[in-house]
Amino acid sequence: MSNIRISPHDARNDSATRPRHPLMRIIRTNAIPVLVSLALVVLATEWLSVLQEFTRLDLVTLFYLLPVLFAAVRWGVVPAVFAAIAGAAAADFFFYPPLYSLWIQDPRHAIDIVVFLFVAVVTGDLAARLKRDADALRRREAAMRELYAFSQRLAACFTGADLVFAVQDYLSNTLGCNAFLIARAALVEHGNDATRESIPEAIRQSALALLATAPAQTCRVADAASGHTWLISTVAEASGYGAIAVDLGKAAGDDLAAIEQRVETLLREADKTLQHLKIAEAIEQARLKQQADALKDALVGGVSHELRTPLASITGSASVLAETPAVQSDPRSRDLVEAIQDQAHQLDADIRNLLDATRITAQGIRPHLEWTDPTDIVHAAVGQKSRRLAEHPLHVEVASDLPLLRLDSGLVEQALAQVLDNAAKYSPAGAPVTVSARAEPGHVIFSVTDKGAGLTPDEKAQLGRRSFRGQRHTLGAPGAGLGLWVASTLIATNGGTLDAASQGADRGTTVTIRLPVSAEAPVPAEVADD
Amino acid sequence: MTSPASTVLVIDDEPQIRRFLRAGFELHGFAVIEAENAAAGLKAATFDAPNLIVLDLGLPDLGGDEVLERIRSWSNVPIIILSVEANEQEKVRALRLGADDYVVKPFGIAELLARSDAALRRYFRSTDKNPIVKAGPLLVDLASRAVSLDGKRVQLTRKEYTLLHLLASHAGLVVTHQQLLKEIWGKQSVNIQYLRILMRKLRQKIEPDPSQPRIIATESGVGYRLDTSAASSAD
Repeated sequence: MSNIRISPHDARNDSATRPRHPLMRIIRTNAIPVLVSLALVVLATEWLSVLQEFTRLDLVTLFYLLPVLFAAVRWGVVPAVFAAIAGAAAADFFFYPPLYSLWIQDPRHAIDIVVFLFVAVVTGDLAARLKRDADALRRREAAMRELYAFSQRLAACFTGADLVFAVQDYLSNTLGCNAFLIARAALVEHGNDATRESIPEAIRQSALALLATAPAQTCRVADAASGHTWLISTVAEASGYGAIAVDLGKAAGDDLAAIEQRVETLLREADKTLQHLKIAEAIEQARLKQQADALKDALVGGVSHELRTPLASITGSASVLAETPAVQSDPRSRDLVEAIQDQAHQLDADIRNLLDATRITAQGIRPHLEWTDPTDIVHAAVGQKSRRLAEHPLHVEVASDLPLLRLDSGLVEQALAQVLDNAAKYSPAGAPVTVSARAEPGHVIFSVTDKGAGLTPDEKAQLGRRSFRGQRHTLGAPGAGLGLWVASTLIATNGGTLDAASQGADRGTTVTIRLPVSAEAPVPAEVADD
Repeated sequence: MTSPASTVLVIDDEPQIRRFLRAGFELHGFAVIEAENAAAGLKAATFDAPNLIVLDLGLPDLGGDEVLERIRSWSNVPIIILSVEANEQEKVRALRLGADDYVVKPFGIAELLARSDAALRRYFRSTDKNPIVKAGPLLVDLASRAVSLDGKRVQLTRKEYTLLHLLASHAGLVVTHQQLLKEIWGKQSVNIQYLRILMRKLRQKIEPDPSQPRIIATESGVGYRLDTSAASSAD
């Protein structure tokens, strides 16, 4: 895939047919323009002689500036000079006495001719230079346009192979050159046969040598067999992508330099793009990771659901079993069935946390706010976890004057139940758990205190983190960090905060939930009084 | 209260759930009919005349709401909803559509049986000649409007009694906030905070320990339930 050959569409490379000698080349390229310029001078002479019939002309030589300027603008300085000389000769021969002779009688006419020649050559040169500049500008503009199109094409490249296609296509279309990518690995491992044919072995070896020795460079290599010159340039050395070899043909001298320069510009551009591709690759990987996360969340959601149904069957079946006379009459069986129920409940609670965490991450939570008695929340949470808290003496201390709160009671109950669950989980049997609710100015505060495992400063630091994965792994017991993270998120969606404090390991934990009291007075006194 | 002839129709697509429900109900003297989808369930509800329906909201062929509405269009048979998600809005919607109560999976059979008994009791109460509801130490005489706690008369205001009466007449079943607001204040536009304050006052009068209420249970985001299984302080 890395070695793709694209043939040039047409062989514009006509340098092979050009004469070698510079002078010969000048003559060859200027022959026709010079002849046409001379013809123009003849034409000007014809017009002048016609005009001469009607009136006497003073500045004849001015007329001969016209063919000079025309030749200069059209073909450059050489035909212009020829036109100037021919014009001066014609003026002298046909219009200055003695007529039909190159001899000049009047010194003024001599000055006239000399000035004409001077002006003609200077303006001719100026015009020619102007034309050359305009041409160069046009060429450069075309090259820029090509390069722009090329970079646009590069921008659309997503893989190294795309890039090589773009480079080859561009080179063959604009310069008529063949280009090949010699990938480091591909070349060593499995050289494509078709590529072997199109890249001369000598060039291949040179490219390999270049890759082996110099990490980033460009070199010109002559292929003795075909007489072609090749340009080999390493690209994207950071990624070790390889080298691009371009067949420059048989061009030599300035032509070769010009082509080489364009190819190099191009390759630099391509190299930059190859570097970008690495960035694009990184972005692509990030996108893939995001997709994987989404998939994982979906999986967790789906799996959780799939797990909860069988768990519901297990819980239900165990509860039926617990009521059968056979189990009721056998303490050991009853014990086992209770264990099944407890464990199934625990597993379901853990899965529920996973599910909630996934849901929070995926779409967030929209609380359904309504006026709630915080007392109700405490009682509902305690009621929900009564079975779990059975082994712990439970103290409930709820102040009687708590203000009503505007929040989603279901979510806050779930959070508080989770905190109670943790207290039970990390306390030895028989250790008391205290739940309290009290009012402070602007807040209602729930707190759950246990005499259990406590938190090390490290673990406490972990609780604040929003990455439940980190918590889960740093807190030894599975599900603990996740549960607290879910709880604190649920509290946060209700405008509150959740904090855990501990004197240290094995010295118990106090989890405090602070919920804001809404400023508006919720109820007129007389309504409640009936 | 449950007669041995009571028939329960279980509509759930999970065979394992149906299996333990059958075992649990049969253990407590019910006859059980199973249906694995809404179509079979609606058919059985029509032709087999069950005394009670246990309906799973997540059926493959028809939404739980739709099944509820169809059954309620011609029958007052008690319906208990099985819901997987602890989604308050879903529960409230099901209750408004005529469900008598719900249990959230996973649940123990005792919980479902308690709800079923409560629903059946309420269904048959119209013929009951002794309308006294007992919840632990609390006795509510629905006919004479007398309330007593551990045998001592409790004085309630009119609204407090109305609230207790509503819960007692649905003893063991959840009553939604909307229902209570509408029945007590006669309109639903009254804000829920009135209900919260009223409930707090009621609990202070009827709960043996108001800081740990056992007689009236809170169903967060849904409503309240008079817990008839609450242990009597005399026991």
